[in-house]
Formats: sequence, C-alpha cells, structure tokens
Amino acid sequence: MPPIYLGEFEQIVLLAVLRLGEKAYGVPIRAEIESRAGRKVTVGALYATLDRLEAKGLVHSWFADPTAQRGGRSKRYFRLLPAGLEALSGSKAVFDRMWEGLHV
Amino acid sequence: MLPPDPPRLAEWLLRRLVGGRDADAVAGDLRETFEARGASRVWYWGQVLSCLTVRLSSYRRALPGFGTDFSRALRRMRRNPGYAFTAMLCLALALGVNATLFSFLDSVYFRKLPVPGAERIVSIGRERAPFCTSRQYFAFAGDLRTVKAAAAIGSGTWVELGSRQYTVLAEVVSLNYAQVLGVGTELGRWFGPDSESAGEPPVVISDRFWKTRLGGDPDVLGRQLRITDRSYRIIGVATAQFSGTFPPTLRDVWVPMRASGAGTDLVARLAPGATLEEAGAEMRVVSARLRASDPQNEGLASPVVVKPRTGFLFRFERDFVMPILTLLMAVSAVVLLIACVNVANLLLSRAAVRRREMAIRQSLGASRARLFRETLAEGLVLAAGGLMLGMFLGYWTGRALEFLLPSQPVAMYQGLRLGIDWRVAGFLAAAGVLCAVLFSLPPAFANGRRNLSPAMKGIDVRNSRHRSFYSIAQVALSLTLLVATGLLVRALDRVQHLDPGFASDHRGYVSVRDMDQNPSLYSALLDQARRIPGVEGATAAWGVFPNSGGGCAAAAEGEKPRDLTSDLVDPSYFEIMRIPILKGSGFAPSGSFTDAPHVVVNETMARMFWPGQGPVGKRLWFPADCTSDEKAQMGTVIGVARDSKYQSLGEGPLPFYYLSRFEDRGNGFYTIVVQTAGDPRQWIQPLVSLVERNGANLRIYRTGTLDDSVSESLWEVKWQASLLGFVGLLAIVLAAIGVYGVVACSVAQRTREIGVRMALGALPLDVQWMVLAHGLRITGIGIAVGLLLSAFTVRLLRGFLYGLSPFDPVAFAAAGFAWIAIAIVASWYPARRATRVDPVTALNYE
Repeated sequence: MPPIYLGEFEQIVLLAVLRLGEKAYGVPIRAEIESRAGRKVTVGALYATLDRLEAKGLVHSWFADPTAQRGGRSKRYFRLLPAGLEALSGSKAVFDRMWEGLHV
Repeated sequence: MLPPDPPRLAEWLLRRLVGGRDADAVAGDLRETFEARGASRVWYWGQVLSCLTVRLSSYRRALPGFGTDFSRALRRMRRNPGYAFTAMLCLALALGVNATLFSFLDSVYFRKLPVPGAERIVSIGRERAPFCTSRQYFAFAGDLRTVKAAAAIGSGTWVELGSRQYTVLAEVVSLNYAQVLGVGTELGRWFGPDSESAGEPPVVISDRFWKTRLGGDPDVLGRQLRITDRSYRIIGVATAQFSGTFPPTLRDVWVPMRASGAGTDLVARLAPGATLEEAGAEMRVVSARLRASDPQNEGLASPVVVKPRTGFLFRFERDFVMPILTLLMAVSAVVLLIACVNVANLLLSRAAVRRREMAIRQSLGASRARLFRETLAEGLVLAAGGLMLGMFLGYWTGRALEFLLPSQPVAMYQGLRLGIDWRVAGFLAAAGVLCAVLFSLPPAFANGRRNLSPAMKGIDVRNSRHRSFYSIAQVALSLTLLVATGLLVRALDRVQHLDPGFASDHRGYVSVRDMDQNPSLYSALLDQARRIPGVEGATAAWGVFPNSGGGCAAAAEGEKPRDLTSDLVDPSYFEIMRIPILKGSGFAPSGSFTDAPHVVVNETMARMFWPGQGPVGKRLWFPADCTSDEKAQMGTVIGVARDSKYQSLGEGPLPFYYLSRFEDRGNGFYTIVVQTAGDPRQWIQPLVSLVERNGANLRIYRTGTLDDSVSESLWEVKWQASLLGFVGLLAIVLAAIGVYGVVACSVAQRTREIGVRMALGALPLDVQWMVLAHGLRITGIGIAVGLLLSAFTVRLLRGFLYGLSPFDPVAFAAAGFAWIAIAIVASWYPARRATRVDPVTALNYE
C-alpha cells in the first residue's frame, strides 16, 4: 500500500483524537485544537475532515448511548486506527527528515 | 434556570444538511458548546451553515458525481463569465417580475395577519350575513371552548383635527380584541376590563395615524379625539406593523364595542389543541342556538363559515383585483418563458461550441443520462444565480410598487404589501428549478443525438435551426405582449381625451361639512367666495366628480322604483360647471324646503323614463325607502341637462337627476367649487381660511382641483397600462437579447464562410446585408406568428379597453414596426462585426 499523504489540518485532527484517547468526541476535539493550535474550527469543517479520515480508514467512530445531557443527543466518539497512527508517524518522519540539519 | 434552546430553525436545517444519527451527534456537540458559550444564536447559525461542507464532502454524497457536475459547471462559467452573467440576468429580470406579482397574489390569498401565532387565527362569519349581533356575542363569547373570540365591526368614519376632518377606517371591537390577537402597542395600552367605565370612551390609534396625522406627538396619550361627532380619549398607539383585521384595508382607529343589535363577525384564536373543524362544529351549534332564540332574524339562517384569516378578507375585494392579477400573472409567465428560451438558446450555443467534446465523450462510453446531468447541473447553477439576483430585483420592484400604490385613491391597494416572504421565495425557487429543467432539455437533446460522426467532424445544422425556432417563438410571444400593451395605452389615450361633459379646468374645490346643517350658511360662504379676488364664480353641490349620491324614483305612483344617481346642487351649478340645460329650465335662485321638489334630469334619465315624450312637467315619485314604493314624495321635472360623466371617465351613460339645495335638507355636506382666473391651486388656501373664519362648526374634509379629480379617476387604467407596459418592455428586452444572440452566434459559426466570401470579393455591404437578412427573416416569421397569436389572445383584454376594439389596427401595426426596428438594432452589431472579419484569420479559424 502506498503511504497515505495527510494534510496539515488532517494531522492536527488526528493528533487531537490521539491526545484525547477515550474522551474523543466533537466538543473536546474542537476544544483541544482551539487551545493547542490556537485555531477556531467550525463544526462542519471538523466533521467533514473526520468523515474523510474515516473513509480513508484512519479513524473509527461509534455512537455512544444517549444520556440526559445535551438534550438527549448521543455522542459520536472517534478512535485512531493503526493505519492512522502509521500515517501520522509517516508524516512526522517526512517533516523530521526535511528539517534535519536546518536551523531557523 | 434551564439553559435556552438553540434556534429551532437552525436545528431543523442541520438535520436536513447532515441527516441521520450524525445529525444527532453534531446537534449534541453544538448544544453543549452553545450552552457553554452563553447562547449566541449568530454563532450557532454560523456553525450550522458550516455543515454545508459536510453535506458536499465527496464521502457522503447522495448522488455520487453530482458534485463534480456542479464544480465543472462552475469552472466553465468562470472561464466564460459574460455568458453566465447574461443568462443569469435574463432569468433574474423575469423571476424578479414574477416574484413581485406572486407576492401580490400571496397578499390577496395567503398572507396572514401580522400577529404572533397568526396561523391559529380564524375568522367566524356567515356566507351572506354577519355572524351575530354584538349583544348576542357578549352573551355567548365566554362559553366558547374551541376558540377565544373577539368581535370586530369594520366601519368608515371621520376624525376631526382642528378645522379639518379626515376620513378614516375604524374597527369597533370587543375589549378582548388585542388579547385574542396577541397584538401590542408602541405607546400606552389596549382596552382592558376597566375600559367600560364612565367618562370618555377610550380609543387606540394606529401607528400610521399617529405619525402622519398627529405628528408622532410623544404626549398623545390622554389627548381627546373627536370621532364621528363623539369625544374619545387616546389610550394607546398600536404596534407599527398592525393595521387591523380587515386586510387589505388599513384601519386607523379602534373603539370599544357596546352591546347592541349591530351585526358583527368574529376574529378568533383556536384554543390549544383545538382544530379548525372542531371550531366550525362548535360555532354551528352556537349558531343553531342563536337561531332558536331569534327565529325572526333571517341572517342567522345563512351557513356558518369558519376559516383561517388569510389574504383579503372580503370576496368582493379579491374579485376586484382578480382580472388584472390574472392578466399580469399570465403575462409574467410568458416573460419567464421568454427568459427560459433565452437561456436555452445560450446553452445551445455553448453546446455547439462543445459538441465535439461531447461527441468524443459519448463515443468513449459516457451515457446520455450522464451528459444530461451535466447540462442540468449547469442549468441549476444558472437558475440559482438568476434566483438570487431575481429576489433582489423582485424586492426592489415590490418596494417601488408599494411606493407608487398609496397615491391611488382606492383604500384597498394601500394595504397591499409586496414583500418577499417564505412563500414567495418558495414559489420562486420552484419556478427557478422548473426553468432549469426547461432550458436544459433542448441542449441535452442536441447533445444526446445518436449519430455522432457529423458532430465529431464539426458540422452542425440542427442546433442553429433549433435556435432560430426558439427565437421566432420569442419574437411572437413578446409581440403579443407589445400588442396588448399598445392596446391598453391606446385605450388610456382614448379615455383621457373623453369629454367629461362639464368644465374641469380652472376649478378648485373645498369640501365642507356643516355640523349645524344651517342652509343659509352656505349662501353666505358662496357670497364671500365670489368676492375673493380672482374668483370668477362659485357654486356648491353635495358631491362633485367623482362623487355622487344614490337614489331611486318611479315614473308613476305605485310603480317599482328604479336605481339612479343624483346630486343636490346650488342653482348656479349648471352655469359654473358649463352643463347646458337642453329643455325647460334650471332651478330658481332661491326656494324653500318642500315635499314636492323641482327636479332636473339628464338626457339618459329622460330617455329611460319617458321615451319619445317631452319630460318637462312630468311627475316623479321618490320613495322614502328604495326597496318599497311606500310613502313616495312627488317631484316635478322642470328641465333636462346634458349628459356628463359623474363617477369616472370610463363609465357608460348613467341616469341622473339634480335637486336644488334650497328644496332638500341634505345632510350638511357640500363641496364649494370656485372658477378661478389662474391655477386653481392658488385659491385653495384663501377658500380654506374663508371656511375657517365662518364658525367652529365647519369641518373641511377634502380640497383639490377638478382637473386632478378627473385624472385621478383614470388611475386604474393608468396603473394597469403602466404595469403591463413595464412587463411588456421587459419581454421585448429579453426577446431582443435572444435575436441578438442567435444572429451573433450564427456569425461566429459562419466566420469561415464569411472569410471565403470576402476573399472571393464580396463587398462588406453584401455581408452585412446577409447577416441583417438572417435577423430580419427570424423576426419576420416571428411577427407573422405573433400577430396571428395576438388576434386570438387580445379578446381576453376586452374588459380593460373602455370600448376600444381589441383589433385596433394602430396597436397591431405599431407593434409590428417596433419589432422590425428592434430586429435591425439587434442584428446591426453582429453584422458590423461580420464585415471586420479578416479573410486570412477566418480561413485559419478553428
């Protein structure tokens, strides 16, 4: 299988999902990106990216049972798949190699 | 406290955009953050709209490939913005007009009252009578289960402000009126249970009345207002957008209702959980009980009608606007059709350019459906662009019309609101999609043909023939509109030049009401008016054009009286108004009240009552009540006046009689007419001051000039002609674009041929003529078809023409020649361009 190319935002989203572990659903993912990357993300852009990542087989998602909070709406949780981890580390390796020996 | 709910509409949209369980998860996320962020609706909407990208993301498309179609269509348009813009503009012009007219239709039939929860407001009435008397209403209103009902009687009345008296429309309402409707106030309050108490009765005025008549006075609460000769105390100013429950008329004052025998209809709000059917059933039961308790009242036998309160309240109001509305809707549909044909033509010419690409793709296995979808996508994008532009144009057309309408004397049109609401937008969107399909079909068929080899070789015959055909259709359709407009303009011209039968120039008037009804006062007023410098004569009449009184009379005692129109005039009236007395004489310069008055009749009435006989000296019987022949008063005819116009210039001959103001008491209303040396407007102010000097009991309710009255009486035909003219002009512009497009495109396609001709020695003039002839040929056929089509359709206009023949040759000829001129102009530019073709470039073309 050829290596999967990840865009910058895709990397950010994957990293956020990875950092959050068990707690990775829409709201905390956006909060994580906002606080760490300093970027405001619309819910549409986030879900479009997560859908794309799922279609590429990099993340897996499932619906939790609805609770009384947030108007009884269920949460959609995300988890990194091995391919996602591989793609992330691949991307990091590319950057590491490109940065090697450079000082700016 | 519970956190606030996110905007419901936004949540609904989210569900549409995302769909399924995902929508649930996204909505949950948004809600959580919404609560945490302090409930910013703007933020919520922004987030929901961002989900458009989720919908369009290529991983969850409902129709795989459609996004590609759209992005391709967009890319093609970016490469060729002129073509896309032309197509969108054509559509926008047509859709804009349709939007305005549909919002007209909307306000006639569907628009709800501007109150909260208006969808649950119903009207309760009967087919041919008021629902009940106000006394009955007060007795049963408290017991209703399915509705909360208020009683409202519409009435025309007058309000006094200083020496002026203004005619206003009022509503006499039960005290729970505002509570049932849920309508508020700008200032003060509505009626409450204490409004019944003694003292001056309370009144609520409209925001419009407050601002225009009372100058928006902030201390208006507590002020006295004289309405219909009674003092009221202002307790509130209603919400700005509220103007009563009798659309389209605007109500300006609301006064509390008292229990009486006056008939009233009800406006009601359905109780929570109750349906329209349940309310209908309950009201029928109520009606049956009323009928049982009051068997003499025939009105109570009329069937009960309970229906949602939408559109114009009264049937006669709807019937009044329907003919012109139907005509305009038909015309604007034709305009839309012309615009569609234009866009189809443009797409066809684009298809011609791309025919080789299409043929190659087809031969490589692209299905016809696939290619059609691509064309449709292009059509939809064009339609969407046209739609947005069109709504914008429609909004402004509506505003412009609203602005023009209040100058019309008919109160009904003043309440017309031509805004764009959800229904109008929905209609437009549907029209847009229909257009997209319509104009995508021809190019799709052109693309989808079986035999590909000519297309691959770049030979194209059928497309240009198609386009010519469409162009002919456009010319024909727009010519029909041109003929119709021409007819209306001719009719207007004809009516404008009709002789009103009386002198209207240099005549100004002041309408006065004398509350003491003192007849000698008017004699004094006339004497004083005659002494104003520059006044050449003065007279008075109960009504002057276009106002006249009703009445009825019989030629013999015991005969059934016939309905007539009448006026009560000063003896000098005939002389000042230049209405000649043809037989007998006019009224004596003085007289006294009598039960046997002298009568002057007009020619039509003389012919009608005494055909072939001399009417002078004949008797007339005037019954006290026109529905019976009892207690008739006898009059003697002393003269015959020439026929004139009494109510409108377009009217046919009316039977009419005059009585002398010295011999009949009248009701205190008189219009004083002065004949002046110069512009009569300059004498209005002196007349007004004269009236004001003559006592506190005089009220002025109208001033103006007779010339203005005459021209205002034509407002309806003017209005119709200008509306139709506007739409017709649009049709012509669109059709001219169509002809230009076809000719220009054929020039582009024949570049090589033209180059060969020029290289072989053709003169520029020959080439120009060739191109021009192409345009003229299309137009010529179009004109022939259009004239034929017009001959069939113009008879529908008969009701609008004031007696002008629908086959008026001038209108037909003018329309034909106008189109020939337009065709020459539209073909001229492509013809000029054709001659500038450089033979060398042309031969290397493609």
